[in-house]
Order: sequence, then C-alpha cells, then structure tokens
Amino acid sequence: MFIKIRRDTLIILLLAFMLIVCGRLITYVAYASSDEMSDGVPISGIIVKGNDIVPTDTIRSNVMQAGFRDGSVIYGDILKTSKREVSLQDAIQTAQEFAKQSTVPGTSIMPITAADVQVDKNTGVVTVTVIEDFSSVELENSTWG
Amino acid sequence: MDLSKFKISIIFLLIFLLSMSSVAATCNIIIITDPTGQDPNGAAAGSMSFADNMFQSTFLMSKENQFVVLSGGTGSSDTRLDSIVAAVASLENNASAASAASIASSYKGARLVVGGPSIGAAIGGSFDAYVITVDEATDEIKVTPYNSGVATLPPGQKGAIIHLRNTDGNPLYGTADTVRKETAINIGKMIRDGYPATTILSEAMGEVANDSGEKYGGGGVNLVSGISTGDMFTPKDMNETGYPMNEEYSKVCDDCGWGVGYPTAEGYDTCPVCGGSLRIVYAYEALGSALTVSPNSVSVSVYGSDKSGLASTTKEIVEAAVSKYGYDASAIASAINRGIDNGILMGVDHVEPKDINVKQGSKAVGVYYNALPGDRSSPPWDLPVDGNILNILGSIQTAVGIILILLVVFRSRLLKSFQNR
Repeated sequence: MFIKIRRDTLIILLLAFMLIVCGRLITYVAYASSDEMSDGVPISGIIVKGNDIVPTDTIRSNVMQAGFRDGSVIYGDILKTSKREVSLQDAIQTAQEFAKQSTVPGTSIMPITAADVQVDKNTGVVTVTVIEDFSSVELENSTWG
Repeated sequence: MDLSKFKISIIFLLIFLLSMSSVAATCNIIIITDPTGQDPNGAAAGSMSFADNMFQSTFLMSKENQFVVLSGGTGSSDTRLDSIVAAVASLENNASAASAASIASSYKGARLVVGGPSIGAAIGGSFDAYVITVDEATDEIKVTPYNSGVATLPPGQKGAIIHLRNTDGNPLYGTADTVRKETAINIGKMIRDGYPATTILSEAMGEVANDSGEKYGGGGVNLVSGISTGDMFTPKDMNETGYPMNEEYSKVCDDCGWGVGYPTAEGYDTCPVCGGSLRIVYAYEALGSALTVSPNSVSVSVYGSDKSGLASTTKEIVEAAVSKYGYDASAIASAINRGIDNGILMGVDHVEPKDINVKQGSKAVGVYYNALPGDRSSPPWDLPVDGNILNILGSIQTAVGIILILLVVFRSRLLKSFQNR
C-alpha cells in the first residue's frame, strides 16, 4: 500500500460513497416520477388539413417560420421562440399569412386562398386548416427556369 | 457585307434556340392498369427530362380527386404555369381529361398530360406520343402514335400514354423516336401480363433514362394511394438538373434490411450489420419501391409530436400490431405503450385506445400523441411515494454522505483537537 490507511476509514469512505450514490438515485427517481408540467407549454406538433396539391411539408415549414416550431414555448398569451418573444395572437396572424404564401414546389403558384391557425394552449398542438383554390390563382410575371 | 449579316442572323437564331429550350419536361408517362381503382398500385404517372428545373410542378397530383397533371414543352415558364393552373382548376370542377388536356393548345409551346384512374387520360398541346390500350377480354395490345390535337385513353380502359422527345444538347439526341416506340410496346406487354402500374412506370422510366438520355428527375406519383416521390429526385436549386434516374441511388442489404444512400454508399461493399452482400438500387427502382404499396401495408399518420423518428417507428409498430391482431384500437394502443415502456418511442406519453383512430376501410391508422414537457424522454413513473418527499430524502442522503467523507478525511486532526480540549 502506498497510502497508509486504516480499515475502518475505508469502510466509512465506502459507506459515504454509497450514501451519495443512493441519494442521487433517489433524486432521479423523484424527477422521473413527478408529473408536474414545466411553466410553459412547448409546441409539440403541427397538423395540416385541407391541402391537396400543395405538399404538407411546404405549409408546415412556412408555419414553423412564423415561430410555431420545435423549441418554442407558450407562456399564457406569449409565444417564446428561439429568436424573440411575440404575442400569441400576432404569431397566429403571421402564421396564417405565411401559410397563404405556400407555393407549389419550384414555382410561384400560390393556390392557398385562406388559412386558419388554431393553437391548443394545453397540448401545444398547432392545427392549420387551409383552403386551396386553383381557379383564383394569380400569377406574377416572374421568370422561372 | 452579306457574310456579316448572315453571321448576325445566325447568332440571333442561336440565342433564340437557347432561350426556347429553357424548360422542357421531355418524358411524360401515365399508366392505368386498374380503372376500377381497387388495386392500390393501379394508376401511376411520372415526368423526367434532360433539362433543368424538373420540380414537382411537372408532376402535380391531387390526392382527393385522384388526378395528375404532367407538364412540359418548349414555351416560357410563365405560360406553362398558366396552363398548369388552368388545367388543375378545370379538373377540380370535374372537367374530363380530354378537355383539361386541350387547354395546353391555347398556350404557346406547352404540353399537358392529365389523367386518373376514373377519368382516363389525355395529352394535349405540343407532343409526340403513343397511346397504348390493352383489351381486357382479348389481351390485344394497340399502340397508336399521335402528334397533334388531343389524344385520349378513354375512362375505364386499361392502357397508358407515353410522350418522349429529346432535349437539345442531349448526347443521345435523335434516339427519342425508337425509344418511344420500344418503351410503348414494353409498357403494353407489361400491362397485358398484369404488372401493377407503379412497377411498369419504374421499368419504363429506367428504359427511357438508359436509352434516350432524358434521365433527370422529376419523379412520379401513385394516383390511387396518393403517394408522390416529392423531392426525392427533383433538383435542389434553380437551374439545376435533378437526380439521374438510371444511376445508383442506394445500397441495401436484403438479409437484414440495412440501407445507405449515395454518395456515402460508395464506401460500403458489405453490410456492416450482418456482413451480407449489398444490392445496388438504381434511382428508377427506388421510384418504383417508393410508389408501390404492398397489399398489407397500413398508412399511419402521427399527430401531436414532430419529434424525429417518431413517425417512422410508430408506423413499424402499428404495422406489426395490425398484422398480428388486426385493426383493433386497444391492441394497437398496448403495442405502442409497450414501445414507449421499452424506450423505443421517446418523448411521448402513453396512449389510450381513444387516441388511436382506426379506419379499416381505407387501411389507415391515426395516432394522437401527447408530447412530454421539457426534455423528458419517457412518461413519469407511477410510484406510491410523492416525488417531493423522495427529492428531499435524496438531497439529505447526498449531504450526509459528503459530510461523512469530510469527517473521515480530517479524522485524525478532529480527534486531536477534541483530545486537546
């Protein structure tokens, strides 16, 4: 032995080590069994309804741009995103505008004439309902291709 | 003097030609093998070209009304988009395929191929196409060339339409006529032999890509099941070509199902999981397998959480549960809950049978999850002791342990100071 140590010292050290490990374990169990919610409600997902030809992913990514994305949290009437804090109403307005800007991929065709965004403040689920209408599409004279 | 005028006119002609060939989807195929709409793979369509910008606008599909609009031609992009929008709008108002396709002729240089399992198919505008029909009773294959007006495949008829032209600059320029004819005949034979439309589309696109060089995706759609290849093969940016449909797309192991996409796949010769040999999947085969629905597959929709991997894992679990227990919401729910308990599904709370929406008729299952708060990976444990008590107990134990260590370390010094007193 390099360090001279008494046997009862070793036993007490071992006991202390086990106490700490058990203590940490119990703290983890306490965390794992607690079901209390954190302060805010995180955005858990986006459901897109009513689209037919415009891909769901396009609309979803546009709504994410308005702040309803993974990592954003709702505190009451405030939406806290990774970039800024906005009021939930404003965010919903922006999301509706952005959803209407969804295009058919690779073109400037914007067939979505109306969009409604609902946010469930308890579950964090965002439901986007859109109306797609190709008979009222206006094309800008932009060059493509 | 004359020579310089001649040169100038040549240059103008060149510029004109260059601007003409800006957008040209030069291969459009639509195949209907089951006009009744029973077979989930009974109608398919696809577009590809040697040219740039083969975005999804060249193979637009309506899932609700089951129609597809394939487009192409030499006109400017704006007129082409105008024609697409007009065709979609008229099809949404229950226009016939022929009348929707005829819209293309009022736009300069445009071409439209429209169709669906119930409305038949039609091609209009500027095209060089074959219409293939297969008689159900006699198995007779008819392949008819068309190049003007509107060519139709009548509703209720098994058959296909293929349009193929070569793009300027294609090294295989001039092969379009023969390849179009041979592919048309092969499509006819495969329809007669009873292959599903998605398989035929994949084979036909492979043949066209290999033999005529009109190979950049593009993509395809399965009209009956509402599946699109989306941006699998389309270009990432403007003025670029998409994925070549006749080149390697991925490598898969047939024994254990492991797979990897190119260019990473170049480094693998054997399967790193089971050591088996790897099979090369070409892009047109990948298109076929992406569009083809197996009869016992289930379409699974996941709501309530966008966590990565959740949707695909849920699909696997639901498919296994359905094949074992059938379309039973409580059996599916308990299978999902087992997955959550085993740590296969992370970040969601347990589901109840009422969270599972089962539609046996359309082979669809919807799962509504409740996401867990914060960074939690699994649902809270159900313990008889309150979490706060455990928390306090744990902290006290940790503190006692640390104090004990301090006491031991300074034991001799502490004992001495007590003795001295």
